[in-house]
Amino acid sequence: MKFSYNWLRDLVDQLDTSPQELAQLITIKTAESEGVETHGRDHVIEIDNKSLTHRPDLWGHYGMAREVAAILGRKLVDPVKPAKFPGDASVRVSIEDHALCPRYSALVFENVTVQPSPEWLQQRLEAVGLNPINNIVDVTNYVLAEIAQPMHAFDAAKLQGGEIFVRTARAGETIQGLNDESYALDPSHLVIADGGGPVAIAGIIGGAVSAISNSTTRIVLESANFNASSVRKTSSRLKLRTDASIRFEKAQDPVNTVRGLERAFALLQEVSPGIRLVGGLADNYRPQPVQAPVVLPLDWLDRKLGRAIPAEEVRRILASLEFGVEVIEPRIFSVFVPSWRATKDVSIKDDLVEEIGRMIGYDSIPPVAPLTPARVPPANPQREFHNRVRDMAAAQGFTEVHNYSFVSEETARVFSSDLSAHIQVSNPIVADQNLLRTSLLPGIWKNINDNARHFDQFRLFEIGRAIHPDREVPHFAAAVYAKDDSPMALSELKRLAECLLPGVSVRPSESTQPYEHPRRTGDVLHGETKVGRLFEFHPKMVEGGRAAVLDLDLTRLMESHPAPARYQSLRRFPESAFDLSVLAGSRALIADVQATLEKLAGDGLLSIDFLREFALADGGRSLSYRLTIGAPDRTLSAEEVGAVRSRIIDGMRAAGYDLRL
Amino acid sequence: MDISELHASALAALDRASTLEELEAIRVEALGRKGKLAEISKTFGKLAPEERARAGKLLNTVKQDLETRLDARKDALASVVQNARLESEWIDLTAPASGVRPGSLHPITQVQRELEELFVSLGFAIMDGPEVETEYYNFDALNIPADHPARDAQDTFWLKDGRLLRTHTSPVQLRALEKFGPPLKMIAPGRVFRNEEVDASHEHTFYQLEGMMVDRDVSVAHLLYFMKTLLSAIFHRDVTVRLRPGFFPFVEPGFELDIQCLICGGKGCPVCKHSGWVELLPCGLVNPAVLRYGGVDPEQWGGFAFGLGLTRLAMMRYGIDDIRLFASGDLRFLNQF
Repeated sequence: MKFSYNWLRDLVDQLDTSPQELAQLITIKTAESEGVETHGRDHVIEIDNKSLTHRPDLWGHYGMAREVAAILGRKLVDPVKPAKFPGDASVRVSIEDHALCPRYSALVFENVTVQPSPEWLQQRLEAVGLNPINNIVDVTNYVLAEIAQPMHAFDAAKLQGGEIFVRTARAGETIQGLNDESYALDPSHLVIADGGGPVAIAGIIGGAVSAISNSTTRIVLESANFNASSVRKTSSRLKLRTDASIRFEKAQDPVNTVRGLERAFALLQEVSPGIRLVGGLADNYRPQPVQAPVVLPLDWLDRKLGRAIPAEEVRRILASLEFGVEVIEPRIFSVFVPSWRATKDVSIKDDLVEEIGRMIGYDSIPPVAPLTPARVPPANPQREFHNRVRDMAAAQGFTEVHNYSFVSEETARVFSSDLSAHIQVSNPIVADQNLLRTSLLPGIWKNINDNARHFDQFRLFEIGRAIHPDREVPHFAAAVYAKDDSPMALSELKRLAECLLPGVSVRPSESTQPYEHPRRTGDVLHGETKVGRLFEFHPKMVEGGRAAVLDLDLTRLMESHPAPARYQSLRRFPESAFDLSVLAGSRALIADVQATLEKLAGDGLLSIDFLREFALADGGRSLSYRLTIGAPDRTLSAEEVGAVRSRIIDGMRAAGYDLRL
Repeated sequence: MDISELHASALAALDRASTLEELEAIRVEALGRKGKLAEISKTFGKLAPEERARAGKLLNTVKQDLETRLDARKDALASVVQNARLESEWIDLTAPASGVRPGSLHPITQVQRELEELFVSLGFAIMDGPEVETEYYNFDALNIPADHPARDAQDTFWLKDGRLLRTHTSPVQLRALEKFGPPLKMIAPGRVFRNEEVDASHEHTFYQLEGMMVDRDVSVAHLLYFMKTLLSAIFHRDVTVRLRPGFFPFVEPGFELDIQCLICGGKGCPVCKHSGWVELLPCGLVNPAVLRYGGVDPEQWGGFAFGLGLTRLAMMRYGIDDIRLFASGDLRFLNQF
């Protein structure tokens, strides 16, 4: 919203603060200024619209002038001179639903001369970014910019019948707007209609048919109040925001409609000499319930602001903003909210805290440490666990990435067979980014191929949420990429899994996904619980190298975390070790052979370590293990060790394994 | 050869010896069981008793002297050998270390962790909430009813199932109040979404940190104290803050918090657009309507809340000029942190 400095000077007595200083004061006390620009002999202060969202009154200069007068302790000059409009109205107004249109006021004028506005009026409008059109339209815009009351002038000759209807549109009705766009209307839209149909979209735009033209001699001047939420809905559905709709959607003051007509009446007499009223004021309204005064205990106010403020100062500030104050008990005020602040803005005592606070200046409140009991805050073990996982991964050489939560259908199809498992976005930023990720893999895959252009090898990971319709599951996904053909990436990731959860194992999967290498894919298990997946990307997925991925469900991983360690007394007797080399098939599993050895070794087995393997001429493999055995109460004799070894060898042979001895 | 001659010749041989083997040969020749000293001692029987005692004493002295010198010489030679070996074992310590270089945490993670630690030290709990939110938690319960113009400021990703992607971390205020009730000091860092066109300074996905304190008496003075303490810790220097009116439906009164520009110290520079102040975060006293939605009686309790842009803070901290880099997954960028 643009404010003309000269205009504000008309409305604030003896305003001599410079425009720049004024902009600063407004920023600190009222709303954020975005800068000051010169405009001819005027200065324009631009105020951020977002900071005016809750202040319908500040969408006109008079409202801002009231703030300025209060800030500087000057007198406010009301531009509206009360006027009398005696006699019967020459236009009838019927309102279908006062909830949608609390008030509709109108005047009819004849002997109108349509011509360009005088220079001063045009300059004012141009300064605040409104285009001068002709004297009649310009007056309506002037009133809008001055007292935030949107108005509309109809060419009375183009209206059918002597009655104006404020009603919802009927299905199939259309209107040609002043902007030459045509709008299809439906019963959710409020319109102004004459005997023939809609002539304006209520609170948004007038129709082309009844627009003021050079031949206009008689006008109906509308000054109405419309329901904020209804205007906002219609405006956003029609994708049409206007200077009027922006104001109405902030909830304007119904009291203002007649003030608008009074102001316009004075201006029209100046810019259209000879103009005459036809009949009196049409004013259809449902009396508004007057807002009950707000009880403001001053002690409570002091507690909220954290500083004592003298009662007299509170009273002075409220009065300067035209709030009424009555003392109902010592240090308890009853505060009457002016109509222009009562539509949405001020209704509870907390709202008054802001009025007092901003006017005394928040910089007058010294910071104070709160007196609260020392408490240990509730723990967040999940987040702590995620942090440990992050630290571990980074320490092991992995760099953290963040990927978007959105995926395209095309990418989603690569990683899942069922697109309906994805939540869909109704209004995606790019048409194809319309699904939420159910896995971190699409992002990691992209990271791999993007970075492969710059690096021969790299490691990266992400912690993020897989989003399913019924739950959000935190996942950890890490990838190792290398341009060479070595399968070390899988081993490295398996080690990372062991670092994150000691005791995990990997079990090769028979059934794999199309994006997985069919012979280099397995489940990551803790006991019998599947906590994730370890796989190499199918070679077709990665160009010019190999990439392996570890994908862990962090909730399961955390739940699987090992129980706290229990101490076992140190061994007092020496242990004995021997190696065994088992001849196994080409696809035999090291873990399976080891499990068989463990079972045969029995209770005396202290540890078993896989040493090495080598390929045999017949295509099989020799797998070597070191077994360490011992007894808790004595040193095993050479005979006893030999007996255990023979038992294992016999057992292995019985199980179909040959041994290299 | 008498004892003195033997002594002299053995010492001369010792001086000449350059290997442990030569030393051993000298030892055997002079001190061995069949060595020269032993041979000489055999002749002592023929000597007169006092002569024998004198010769025996001399022999012992020479023997001890030779043994001591042999040991010393042996040690010297051994250390020469050892030194030669050590010398040959030189390693270039400037060679790169083996193994994998450490990775790094995402810059936003680093900033977030620093703040989390700071808040935990001030007694705040860290809370989480879902990224897919309901309209109730994201808007209604935060005092932003349908058709409230404030919804315009937060372009929302709506989901086909009627829910939405949270536009701020503020819904966690409600979830935390529901779960723990007052008194409560909490923060909620996390990912938020706005349906915005992406460019160097706008992202549809970014990170915020929500904070709230609810207690019996919470005032603007307390809010100022916390913000000043917190921001001084974040920026590692004493910062000057100011509050000015700002409108956010879930707080009343609502503020924009500015800090005095850290670049120019408030004198005015391009970073602060010559105003001396940089807008940093929205905050305010928790709106009583929000407390009521959270099941808290606003007559008994009050609170303050604030929202910190973690992404923006990371940009300030590291001087990052393109917000899109954060989600680029580009290791040329991420490896710098």
